[in-house]
Amino acid sequence: MIWEVFRQEENGEYHTHCGNVHAPDREMAKQFAAIQHGRRKPTNSLWVVPKEEVGEIDSDDVTFGGTTDKGYRWTMTYNLQTDQAEEVVESESEQEQADKQRGEA
Amino acid sequence: MDIEEVKERAGPREFSPADDLPEEYRKAATRMIEFHANSEIMGAYLERPFIRQAPSIDRKLAFSAKVQDEIGHGQLLYRAAETLGVKTREEMLDDLANGKGKFLNCFHYPMTEYVETPMVAFFVDGAAMRRQATLRRTSWEPYAHAMDKVCFEEGFHVKHGEDILRTLMNGSRKEQQLTQEAFEEWWPRIIQFFGPTDDKSTHHDFAASVGLKQKSNDELRQAFLDQYVPKARKYGLEIPDYPRIHKNDEGRWVVEEDDLDWDEFFTIAKNEYEPGVGQIDGRKHAQEAVQWVRDTIEADNVPAGGQPPQAAD
Ligand SMILES: [Fe+2]
Ligand SMILES: [Fe+2]
Repeated sequence: MIWEVFRQEENGEYHTHCGNVHAPDREMAKQFAAIQHGRRKPTNSLWVVPKEEVGEIDSDDVTFGGTTDKGYRWTMTYNLQTDQAEEVVESESEQEQADKQRGEA
Repeated sequence: MDIEEVKERAGPREFSPADDLPEEYRKAATRMIEFHANSEIMGAYLERPFIRQAPSIDRKLAFSAKVQDEIGHGQLLYRAAETLGVKTREEMLDDLANGKGKFLNCFHYPMTEYVETPMVAFFVDGAAMRRQATLRRTSWEPYAHAMDKVCFEEGFHVKHGEDILRTLMNGSRKEQQLTQEAFEEWWPRIIQFFGPTDDKSTHHDFAASVGLKQKSNDELRQAFLDQYVPKARKYGLEIPDYPRIHKNDEGRWVVEEDDLDWDEFFTIAKNEYEPGVGQIDGRKHAQEAVQWVRDTIEADNVPAGGQPPQAAD
């Protein structure tokens, strides 16, 4: 049985997928995950999930969003030339980053 | 874990559903997140009519995107609250529909004119974002994670709101005058967004001591006024004479609390303020009107095949 493994590096961060292990049950999957994925990289917590429980939908099945020009929903569209609160600036830089990644995808 | 240990450990994103947390913490967190979730939903309903009423296609599109975002924020937050194990999502939604769920004072007031929209989309969202940015460091990890996504999106809301204000205040004299009037009507409510001063706030001490709240009402009000009073002035809005506010010698804002209508504020807090009651009922009706959609989905007899789903951008 295959178990997908998600690692959280530090308390409070996101669990992100880092690989999978072969194990007969959940207990063994946890142990294998700890050995294979928790040893070298900083790890605070691991999740193991049976592979068949993971639902997947990919770009063959569906047209994902992000390709139509929807400038009106991005901060960068509103060119105000005024000082923004720091959290607005942060939001804008996160959006710019996401926009760039979309362009590269 | 007992409450003393919670207080000792309380740091940003410290506690997750894996932790065994005392009821006192879980209840306080539920109250706070449920309030926040309800506010997202009620705010969205307030702005929804402007998808039609906004004067241009760009504005209509932006309002539709914004309303979609706000409903999404509500959904994220109900999830974050639900994981505390105190209330289910259904219970929270029912309470909101039945007038038991509490939400932000500003969203109990009706908003009917387009000139009012920047009062919410710029000033209230701006105020909300001041608070939300600090909540990325709250001690309940699912709440902090929800704030990551909310703050990512909110920058657009605030800038869109500012853009509307800029356009109106550069418009005809009539538009400027109506915008000023709307500002005068909304300004005291916006000041009350942060609630009474800290010495009168009942929930702050505990929520702060367990890391749920990162900044006090007073600190947030200061941060808001610092940023948004100059903005209002920049666009030619005059700050109303009442409530009296001024900066003291130390550069801190002083608000004359007695100039604000706290009776109205606490009537609102009990969900007894008349226009707000209408808005709660309005949302309840909207929810009932689409009950058939939920029934259809849950009946599990949706025909197979058909069009592949299209993800929203
Ligand atoms: Fe929101
Ligand atoms: Fe918003």
